[in-house]
Amino acid sequence: MRPDPIFDVAALERFGIDTGIFAVMNSKWGWPICESIHFLGLCLLMASVGMFDLRMMGVARGLPMSALHRLVPFGVAGWLMCVATGFLFFMTAPGQYLYNPAFQTKMTFMGLAGVNMALFYASAASAVHAAGPEDLPPLRARLIALVSLGCWVGVITCGRLITFFRPPYHWCIWC
Amino acid sequence: MDSFFAWIEQTPLSIYVREDLYAFFVILIFHSLGMAFLVGGGAAICLRVVGLASGAPLQKFRGFFPVMWVGLTLAVISGVLLLIGYPAKALTNPVFALKFACLISAGLLVREIARRLFPLAERGEELPSWSRWLGLAALLLWAGGVTAGKFLPYTHHILMVS
Repeated sequence: MRPDPIFDVAALERFGIDTGIFAVMNSKWGWPICESIHFLGLCLLMASVGMFDLRMMGVARGLPMSALHRLVPFGVAGWLMCVATGFLFFMTAPGQYLYNPAFQTKMTFMGLAGVNMALFYASAASAVHAAGPEDLPPLRARLIALVSLGCWVGVITCGRLITFFRPPYHWCIWC
Repeated sequence: MDSFFAWIEQTPLSIYVREDLYAFFVILIFHSLGMAFLVGGGAAICLRVVGLASGAPLQKFRGFFPVMWVGLTLAVISGVLLLIGYPAKALTNPVFALKFACLISAGLLVREIARRLFPLAERGEELPSWSRWLGLAALLLWAGGVTAGKFLPYTHHILMVS
C-alpha cells in the first residue's frame, strides 16, 4: 500500500480527536442522532428537489413548476443537514471513508448532481418557470430531472453500501 | 413468543437474509429508497399544508400519491424481509413499536389531509386555520418514524442470532 500523496489520514484523525468529534460520535447516542439527522435531511431533499424532478418528468401534472420550486430552499437546508452530519461521520473514521469504493462513488454522484444543477439553472430554469401548470417542460429539462433523481438514488444506494466495504478494502486510484 | 421467533430464525429465508453476503445490504438499500420516496412525498404534501409553496394548488399534490405507494411497497416488502431476518431483535424493541405508531399516524393524517382539505382546495375555498397544525403534526410524525427507525440498531436488547 503506497502512501497517499493527497490526504493525510493521520492528520484528519488527529483533527477529529482534537476537536472532540471522535468522542461525541462514539458516545452512546452520538452516532444514531447524526444518522437520523442525515436521513431526515435526505427526506427533505427528496420532498423538495426529488418531487420537483418528478414533476418535471411528468408526475403530478397540474402542479405549476414555478410554485413547486419554492420548496427547493428546504432541499438545500436538508442537503446542509446531510453535509454537516456527513462531515462528523467522516472525521470520526476518515480512513474508512476515503478508501471506500462506496463512499467514493457516493461523492461522485454528489458532484454529478452539482454539475447537473448548475446546468439546470444555466439552461433550463427559465423555460421551466415559464411553463404552464399542465405543461411538460422541454426535453432538456426532463433529462436534467432524470439525471438529478438518478444521482440521489445513487447517493442513497452508495451510502447504504459504505458499511459493506469495511477495511481491509482499500481503494485509492490517486495513490 | 420466543420459541416462535426462534422458529422463524431457523427458516431458510431468515438464515439467507442474515448470512448471504449481499442479501442484507440489498434489502437495506431498497428499504432506504422506499422510505425516501414515501417520506419525501408525504413531507412535500405536509410542507404545502403548513403554508409553504402556497402558489401550488394543494389538491394537485395528489399526483405524488403513486410515488408514495411505490415507496411504501418497497419499504414494506424489504421491511418484512428484515423482520424475517431478525424477528426477536425487532419485535422485542419498544422503539420498533414507536416507529410504527409514528409512521401509521403520519399516513393516516395524510389521508385526512386528502379527504378533508383536498376538496376544499379543489373548490378554491380557504383552508381552515387548524390545517396548518395538521400538516405540522404529520411532518413531525414522519420525522419521528424515520428517527425511531434509525435508532433500531442501537436500542435492541434481545438478540438470539447474529
